[in-house]
Amino acid sequence: MSAHRVAGRGRIDADAPLNFSFDGRAFQGRRGDTIASALLANGVRVMGRSFKYHRPRGPWGAWVDDPNAIMNVALNGVELPNCPATTTYLEEGMAARSVNAFPSARFDLKGGLDLFHRWLGAGFYYKTFMWPDWHLFEPMIRRMAGLGAVSDAVLEGYVADQLHDRCEVLVVGGGAAGLVAARSAAEAGQDVCLVEDHAECGGGVWQRAEIEGTAPADWVAAQVAAIVAAGGRVLTRATAFGVFDHRMVGIVENRAFGQAPRLRRMRAGRIVLASGALDRPVTFANNDRPGVMSVDGAGEMLARYGVLVGRRIAVVANNSAARAVLPALVQAGAEVVEVDPAAGPIRVLGAKRIRGLDQGGRRVEADTVLASGGLTPLVHLWRHAGGKLDWCDARQAFIPGRAPEGMVAVGAAAGAFDLESALEEARGVARGGAVEASVSHYHLTPLWPAPGAKGRQWIDFQHDVTLKDVELAARENYVSVEHLKRYTTLGMASDQGKTANMAGLAAMAAIQGRPIPEVGTTTFRPPFVPIPIETYHGAHRGQLWHPLKRLALEEAHRAAGAALGEYGGWLRPGWYGQGDVAQIIAEEVRMARGTAGIFDASPLGKIEVMGPDAEAFVDFVYYNTIRTLKPGHIRYGFLLSEGGAVMDDGVIARVDQDRFVISCSSSHVDGVRTHLEAWRQDGNDPDRIFIHDTTQHWATVTMTGPKAREIVGALGLEVDLSAEAFPHMRLREVVWQGGPLRIARVSFTGDVSFELSIRASRAEELWQALIAAGAPLGAGPLGLEALSIMRAEKGYLIIGKDTDGETMPHDLGFGIPRQKKTVAFIGDRSLHNAKANSTARKQLVGLRVAEGAVMLPTGAHVVEAGTQRSLGYVTSSYDSPTLDRPIALALIEDGVAQMGREVTIWHLGETRRATICGPCAFDPEGERLHA
Amino acid sequence: MRDDSGKWDRLPAVDAVIDAPGVVIRRVALVRQVLISGPDVLTQIDGPVVEWPGVVEAESYALSLRRDRVLWVNGPEMAEGWDAARNWAVSDVSDGYEVVEIAGAGALALLCRGAEVSLDQPSRSVARLLFGFGAFLYRAGNVQTYRAHVGRAQAGAFWTALEVHLRVSGDV
Amino acid sequence: MQIFPCPFCGPRDEREFHFAGELGKTRPDTRDGVSDADWARYLHEQRNEKGHVREVWMHMPCSELFVLERDSVSMAVIGSSPLRGAAE
Ligand SMILES: [Zn+2]
Repeated sequence: MSAHRVAGRGRIDADAPLNFSFDGRAFQGRRGDTIASALLANGVRVMGRSFKYHRPRGPWGAWVDDPNAIMNVALNGVELPNCPATTTYLEEGMAARSVNAFPSARFDLKGGLDLFHRWLGAGFYYKTFMWPDWHLFEPMIRRMAGLGAVSDAVLEGYVADQLHDRCEVLVVGGGAAGLVAARSAAEAGQDVCLVEDHAECGGGVWQRAEIEGTAPADWVAAQVAAIVAAGGRVLTRATAFGVFDHRMVGIVENRAFGQAPRLRRMRAGRIVLASGALDRPVTFANNDRPGVMSVDGAGEMLARYGVLVGRRIAVVANNSAARAVLPALVQAGAEVVEVDPAAGPIRVLGAKRIRGLDQGGRRVEADTVLASGGLTPLVHLWRHAGGKLDWCDARQAFIPGRAPEGMVAVGAAAGAFDLESALEEARGVARGGAVEASVSHYHLTPLWPAPGAKGRQWIDFQHDVTLKDVELAARENYVSVEHLKRYTTLGMASDQGKTANMAGLAAMAAIQGRPIPEVGTTTFRPPFVPIPIETYHGAHRGQLWHPLKRLALEEAHRAAGAALGEYGGWLRPGWYGQGDVAQIIAEEVRMARGTAGIFDASPLGKIEVMGPDAEAFVDFVYYNTIRTLKPGHIRYGFLLSEGGAVMDDGVIARVDQDRFVISCSSSHVDGVRTHLEAWRQDGNDPDRIFIHDTTQHWATVTMTGPKAREIVGALGLEVDLSAEAFPHMRLREVVWQGGPLRIARVSFTGDVSFELSIRASRAEELWQALIAAGAPLGAGPLGLEALSIMRAEKGYLIIGKDTDGETMPHDLGFGIPRQKKTVAFIGDRSLHNAKANSTARKQLVGLRVAEGAVMLPTGAHVVEAGTQRSLGYVTSSYDSPTLDRPIALALIEDGVAQMGREVTIWHLGETRRATICGPCAFDPEGERLHA
Repeated sequence: MRDDSGKWDRLPAVDAVIDAPGVVIRRVALVRQVLISGPDVLTQIDGPVVEWPGVVEAESYALSLRRDRVLWVNGPEMAEGWDAARNWAVSDVSDGYEVVEIAGAGALALLCRGAEVSLDQPSRSVARLLFGFGAFLYRAGNVQTYRAHVGRAQAGAFWTALEVHLRVSGDV
Repeated sequence: MQIFPCPFCGPRDEREFHFAGELGKTRPDTRDGVSDADWARYLHEQRNEKGHVREVWMHMPCSELFVLERDSVSMAVIGSSPLRGAAE
């Protein structure tokens, strides 16, 4: 076994063994290990298979820069997919499975795919599986290419905590630069929060023998203690994954395994980016073999986990930072051979087990290959915030350029790879000083992919993008980096291009003979690390996803056996009782028509408009003339948009001279209130008009039917309910049981109706009193479904159902204000343009089918004979229990002029016939309404 | 047309109490809530006007909602409608808002789940969006005792939101 | 998530706000023979500017309609003022 644990090294707890399994085999790790370090310590290198070719893969990096070791991990019955083995801390009893490999990473039946790589180049899917239909191939490809499956069982209790937070200075990264910056700012009295994604701070410090004359452990502990002592906060296992508008930083905090992460939305006054830098891969043949790792990854494995990744190690590196890592490896017992990448093309020998390197026929024996192509500063968050990047020739890297407002980069993230000067800068910057990144001792020889090179040279390890794929993309003219990315999937892996992007764009630059900065980078988008989607929605799921509004009478409805459903954002009774639903609904209609029905109309709007200009205001916002309305009277009307379309309908009551109550439709209350507020403040004098939405203070119970008057009469109200004394469209305010009761005579059924509104806390009393009074007469509760049929029998419309976004009031038979109203009102001018005046407008009519025919489907189209052009459509359709035949409402072009004409109805390939009629099918004279 | 009765839990009882370490949540019954709007109502109102993050000590107080509106809590009974003498529009909304009290050392941390609430960020209005619901949020009687008035029809969902967020927040 | 300053309530996050339109749309006097072209311009024409913009927003919790000046590219907020008495 080449990789092994070295006693006495690392930050792990050697005395705390943890048992776990990988692909069914039992292993032991130590507390403080990641799954990857524990496996390496056991000599296991093959931890996964690549996405497309199923090549065996081991870890390249030691932390977030590893694209290879992605696993399904189960613990205590919870299994999570897509766990990076390098960032998942080991726990007792974990069972890890490699993904993309069946039955195990070492023996993959699909490994045969690799033999076909010649035909699986860039754009392969796009080119091959298009005929006859991508969808035939998609399920098979998805199954083969997946990176683990989500189990439904896990999701139930997997709810992310989300919170809002703020701080004056947010330091991203708890490495040396981040620690001193945070300490410096905290000691200067600022409210500091530092986030570090590892379980402990320190970053690259652990790889050093000493720092500022102190042992790393003592130094790190001292910094953290000083930050906390100065009132600062240190969050570990927390990753700042994105910077959003106005310095809102998304921080994802890992909690216990199996528990959803926490999302902390941190509003930062200032952001200090100390996210460090990554070692980038070197592109040579078979550079994806398990056992080829980054130099920095090997250094981290040793320093943090006490794992020496190989015994005889060949190093392919071009820079001083990599060379600085090597003495530690030698001291731990490795034999290290440096291979100069400039001396000729390199090829890795061996497949699942590395045998060495070949360079121009010269063979270097090795069990492990470490590579370093230079350091790439982690500038993701810098770019999220809109910061610019500058190309640095000396470092061969993009480093932070012009800063976004309120953000500064320090340490390796700023290109300051030399620790001593980086610390000095970080201390100064945290106190508000300027950044002066200096190259100092860091030096490197440029080393980028060489186009035309032989062998398979991997650029994106997870997505299997090779140098040849980049060359192919260039030949096919996908030369923009954004096109290159999408055509080859380069950089689209779960590491989001942290390892692949620089090599990819450098390859494209070399192929085209352009400088790297001219090719540019792809857009950096959050999240910086993969995040479970649950993190984003948190508790906004299930009943909290889109909570419905709830009725004061809900318990009464449930007790009466109501089937509750969503109607316009409210949970309301659809019908009452169990059994044949259509039958129940029809019975409710017959009951209401025969004696009386009682329904809960509480969601109807009660928006009060008050003040000296209230009258002029409602006259302006309504299509209908309202100024002539007398106190105690009610009028039906429309609210229009400025485009003339009907937005809402409903009744408006005038309580007294300067007080109106708008009863808009149940689902439009919030919209209407906002609409009125906007017009109140824009174009009117807001000191003379006030709008109070009192909807939820009231509960409204409506009694409708021939016996309604008798039943309401049983309440013993001090009001004459007779048709003469209290006619249709009148409002009365009375006292019932010591409290106010508002009675409106309006009707949505065509029968005599009394709409009784009472304060919500007393709704139950009123409801029970009416139920009790109605029961002996055969009256009972009426659900929304029955009500909907009854209003359709009368041709009463529902906005948004029987109208669309173009319907104007004159399409609905309300043409008089359009012709006669003399004062300005919202939408007025739009009612007189060419479109409004057209004869081809869709108008609301009824449709009647032949004797014995079944009802028309809602949504069916009325089509022109011959051309099959749609002339309109069925908006409401029911079997009328009252008339014992189907009824329908429809919007049809020039429909009103075609009364009595037979038309063709088309629905899902079938055609039928129907006759255009008036919308009102029941009691067209309105005798019942005024009875 | 479907029966979703089972999909929606019954509403929490009015006398329900959530008693968790650091946070106690319960309903508060108020005598009266009256909306009063008028050009100068903030200065005319005869009582303490509550803004964020002030702490109200009185039994009867006016919540500052907007530049021309207060919610007069536990005030005297008033005639509804337009009061031409004072230039006030008056509506009784005693049953329009339910009042939830969130008290204890962990109360603010819980509220931070629902909005960018901060004691360092004063506001002339107590109206805000909290857990996605319109709410009037202020402190009453104690610096760790918060009250939220929420529209009656959404008070049940607001309660559930507090309950769920408290459960998933864990150690903070 | 942006922070907008309501002229009355002070800074609040963007979830509390609703865009109402570009500043400077004056409703033509519809009693005074507005041409089809003028009305269509009022209804449909947007400047949709890049950079410094002046817009009308509503702060939903307090219903304040106000003028917000901001930069539509950098998302920087320049300032806000009540709509009452705003210059067009
Ligand atoms: Zn406001």
